[in-house]
Amino acid sequence: MNILLCIKQVPDDSVEVAMGADGKPAIEKITKVVNAFDTYALEMAARLTESMNDGSEITVLCVGPDEAKNSLKNCLAVGGTYAYLASDAAFDGSDPQGIALILKDAIAKLEEEKGKFDLIFTGKEATDAALGQTGIQLAAQLGTGVITNVIAIETADGKAVAKQETEEGYRTVETALPCVLTVAKPDYDPRYPTIKNKMAARKKPINVMDAGILTDADAVGEAGAKIVSVKVYEPPKKAAGVKIQEETDEESALKAMAMMADAKVLG
Amino acid sequence: MAYLISEEAQDLLLDVKDFCENEVKEQCKEYDKTGEWPKEIYDKAIEMGLQALEIPEEYGGPGLSRVDVAALMEEMAKADAGFATTISASGLGTKPVLIAGNEDQKKRVCEIIVNGGFGAFALTEPGAGSDPAAGTTTAKKDGDEYVLNGRKCFITNGGVADFYCITALTDKSKGVKGMSMFLVEKGTPGLSTGHEEDKMGIRTSNTCDVVLEDCRVPAENLLGGEGKGFGIAMKTLDQARTWMGCVSTGIAQRAMEEAIAYCKERVQFGKPVIKFQAMQFKVADMAIKIEAARQMVAHALTLMDMGLPYTKESAIAKCFASDRAMEITTEAVQMFGGYGYSREYPVEKLMRDAKIFQIFEGSNEILHIVTANNTIGR
Amino acid sequence: MTKTETKNILVYIEVAEGAPVKVSTEILAPARAIADQKDGQVIAAVIGSGIGDAAAKVAGLGADKVIAVDDAAYADYNLDAYADVLAQLIEKEKPEAVFIGGTQDGKDIAPKLAAAFQTGCASDVVATALDDGGNIVFTCPLYSGTILTDMVIADARPQIATLRSGAFKKLEDAKAGEVVAEAITVADDAIKATIRESVKEITEAVNLEDAEIIVSGGRGMGSAENFKLVEELAEVLGGVVGATRPAIEDGWVPRNHQVGQSGKIVAPKLYIACGISGATQHLSGITGSDYIVAINKDEDAPIFSVANVGIVGNALKVLPVMIEEARKIKAQ
Repeated sequence: MNILLCIKQVPDDSVEVAMGADGKPAIEKITKVVNAFDTYALEMAARLTESMNDGSEITVLCVGPDEAKNSLKNCLAVGGTYAYLASDAAFDGSDPQGIALILKDAIAKLEEEKGKFDLIFTGKEATDAALGQTGIQLAAQLGTGVITNVIAIETADGKAVAKQETEEGYRTVETALPCVLTVAKPDYDPRYPTIKNKMAARKKPINVMDAGILTDADAVGEAGAKIVSVKVYEPPKKAAGVKIQEETDEESALKAMAMMADAKVLG
Repeated sequence: MAYLISEEAQDLLLDVKDFCENEVKEQCKEYDKTGEWPKEIYDKAIEMGLQALEIPEEYGGPGLSRVDVAALMEEMAKADAGFATTISASGLGTKPVLIAGNEDQKKRVCEIIVNGGFGAFALTEPGAGSDPAAGTTTAKKDGDEYVLNGRKCFITNGGVADFYCITALTDKSKGVKGMSMFLVEKGTPGLSTGHEEDKMGIRTSNTCDVVLEDCRVPAENLLGGEGKGFGIAMKTLDQARTWMGCVSTGIAQRAMEEAIAYCKERVQFGKPVIKFQAMQFKVADMAIKIEAARQMVAHALTLMDMGLPYTKESAIAKCFASDRAMEITTEAVQMFGGYGYSREYPVEKLMRDAKIFQIFEGSNEILHIVTANNTIGR
Repeated sequence: MTKTETKNILVYIEVAEGAPVKVSTEILAPARAIADQKDGQVIAAVIGSGIGDAAAKVAGLGADKVIAVDDAAYADYNLDAYADVLAQLIEKEKPEAVFIGGTQDGKDIAPKLAAAFQTGCASDVVATALDDGGNIVFTCPLYSGTILTDMVIADARPQIATLRSGAFKKLEDAKAGEVVAEAITVADDAIKATIRESVKEITEAVNLEDAEIIVSGGRGMGSAENFKLVEELAEVLGGVVGATRPAIEDGWVPRNHQVGQSGKIVAPKLYIACGISGATQHLSGITGSDYIVAINKDEDAPIFSVANVGIVGNALKVLPVMIEEARKIKAQ
C-alpha cells in the first residue's frame, strides 16, 4: 500500500498564547511540534503498515516553513519512510481551501514518482486554529471519499472500513480507495522513537517543493484566500474574582456558599 | 539543562524525558516498595534503545559523545536511580572488553547489548571490597580452558546479565599481578547466581551473588592476557565511576525539584514556605552543589572522549556528586517536614537511593586515596 | 458563486431522535439578527425522515421559512447525501450565508459545502456582526481560545460558518414561520462513503451544553472515590457532572463528561471547578460560564484567573461542607 500522511507543525498546545507587542500572537518562543492529531494519524498508519507486513511505505508531507523540517524528521523516526516539505512564501496566508490546493498539487507531483496513494491520512484538526476543514477540502479536491474522526481502520477489497468516533459511541463507515481519513485519538498512544530511528531520521533527506508545483498560483496564499482575518486580539480578561482562604477549609467553604447564595447562582 | 550537548542529543533528550515521565517515574514507586524487577519498564527502554547508549558506533551504538549520553542518563536517573543504575551497570560490564578485549570479544558483547541483553562486572567478593587484591576466586588453566572457582557478591545486574566480566587469580603467588579477567556468558555450566540483596535503595536494580563452581571457560575468553585482570579492573572503574557521579546528580536534581514544588504548595504562617528566605537559601545550596557536580561529571567525560588522562577527575566527580546527593536528598526530606518521612511522598526514596553512590564503584574513602595519590604524586 | 445571491441566511438544522439539536436552535438567533439588519430572511433546512415535528419546532424559533426535506432515503445521516441536499438547496435559494451548528457532523458538512462552492468557511464561530461592506464578521477562537480572530469572507458566496454550541442564546419569542416540503434527490454517484452501522456505547446521556449548573472535577480530586464528592454536589444542586481529561483518562468518569477543547464547550449559569488547575484546553471550554467557582490547593493555579470566587483550599475538605450547606439551602 502507498500511504500519505499530511501533517502540520504547530506551537505546543499546552502553552498559553498571548498577543505580542507587534499585534500578532506571540508564538515564536513556543516549541513547535507535530500537531497532536497528526501524530495519532501517523501511529495509526504505522500500525496498519506493520499489520499488512507487505513493504507498504508512508510518505509524510507538510505544508509549512523551513523549520517544519524538524517535525518531518520526528515523523521519520516513528514510522514515516519519506518526508516532503512544501514551502514557499507564496503559500503564506492560505486558507484551508488554499492548503488543500497546495496539497493536491504536491500529491500529483509525488504520485508521478511513487504511483497513486491508496490512503491519505491526516489529523482531524490542528490544535492551533482547530478548523478541521483541510481533510474534507482535500478529499473534495481529489474527488475521493473522506471519513473523519477515525479511531480505527482496516482495508479490504479496495475499500477502507473505519471506526468513526461519535459523541455517544461510534459508526462503522466504508469508502472506496483511494480515500482521505482524518484521525481523532485512538485508544493507543504514538510510539516513542527509538534512539536508532531518531538518529537515522536525522540523516534522511527532506525533499523540498516550492511554488513551482502549483497549477493555479492565484488560488493559494493570501491572494487566493476566500476567508481572511481582519483582526486578532485577546479575549476580554475576566475581571479578577475574589479569593477566599480562611483559617480552615470548612470556613472557606461556608463563606463561598454565602457568596454564591447572594449572587443567586444556586438555582 | 546545563550539559552542553549536540543538536541530536537535544532532540533525543526530549524523547527520553517523555519516556521517563510517562513510563518510569510513577511506575517505579511500586517497584521500589516490592523490590520486584520491573521487566516491562526495561523491555520498553530496550525497545527505545536506551541500553545501548554507550556502545561505540562501530559496534552498533548511536555514536553520541559521552556528555550527550550523560544528559540522557541524568534524565533517567531523575526518574529512578535504580533504572539508571541498571543501564549504566551494563556499560560497566562492557567496559573491560572495550578496554582490553580483542575484536571478536568486543563484537560479541556489543552485539549482546545492542540486541537487548545486560552485562555485569564481577570483581567484588565477600572478603574483597575496597581491597580487591584480597580476592580469592581462582582460575586454573586446564588444556584450552580455565576452571573458575569462587564467589562474587553485590554484583549489579548479577541475576539478569547475559555476560559477566569476572576477575580470578590465575597465579596466587603474584598477588594482584596474578589476577586475570574472563568474559563468561550466561548459561556456562558452573556459573550460577543467587542470594538477591534486599536493598535500602535502588531497588529496581538487581544485586546478587555470582557463584563459580568448577566453571569451565574457554581460554579465548581471557581478556587481555594472564595477570592483566587487576589493571583492567582499575581502568574500568576509573571510567565507570564518573557515570555514578552522573546518576547521583540526577537523584539530587530530582530531590531539589520535588522540594521546590512542595514548598510552593505548603502553606505555613500564612504563605507558601518557599517564600521564606531560609527555604530559598536551602534551594540555592542545592542548586550550587548540583551544578558543580554536573560540571565535574561533564569535565571527566570530556577528558575521556578526548583521550586525555581522567583518573583523578573521575574520582573527584563520583566522590563529590555522591556526597552532595546524600546531603541534598537529606535536606529535601527536611524541607518536606513530617511528610518527607512518609513513603507517600517521593523524597525518602531519593535519600535511600542516594546512599549507595557513596559506597560502590570505589567507596568515597578509596576515592580520597585515588585523588590524594594523583594530586601529591611521588 | 458571486454576489448574485439574496440577503437570506440558510440555517442547517441538525436533527437527533426527531428533535432539532440544541446548537441548531441557538444559531437561528444570530441568523435572525443579521437577516433583520439586511432585510433578509432566515431559511431553515431540516433533512431526515419523519421530521415534521422537528420542522414545526424550528418554525417557532426565528426562521421565516423551514424547508423540510423529508424522505426515507435520509432516515440515516450520510455526509455526502446531506451535503448534496444542502448544496442543491443553496443553488435554489441562493442565500448569502449558510450557518451550521458546530456539531461533529456539522463541522464535516460545512467545509464540504465550501469546497463545492469555492467559498470561505469560518469554524467554531462564537460571535457574529456585520461590517461596513455588509459582510458578516465571524469571531473565531485560536490557540485553544487564548486568542480571538475576526474573519471575513469578502467576495465569495455563500459565506459558510459553523457556530459554537452555547455561544448564542436561543430566541425566546420569535415570529412563527412556515414549513414547506421540498423533495430533493441525491445521485448515487454523489455518495462516496456509507455508514454500515451506528453504535451507541455510552448509554447515560450527559447534557453539559444545556446544563445550568455544572460541578466539575479534575486531577486534584485524587481518586475515583474522592470524585464521588463532585458527583454528590452536582446531584444536590441539580447540576451535571463535568470532568477534565486527567479524570477521564484515570477512569473516574466516562468521556462524555469531558469539558474543554476536546470535550464540550459549556456555558452554564454556575460552574464549580474542583481540583482543576485550569490548563488552557480546559479554560477554553468554560469561559462562557456566567459564574465560576474554583477550589484548588495551589493559589497560583490558572483556574483562579477566570473564577468569580476562588477558594484556596483542599477540595476534599471544602466539598463536604458545600454539600451540607447546599442540602440546607435546597431544603428551605
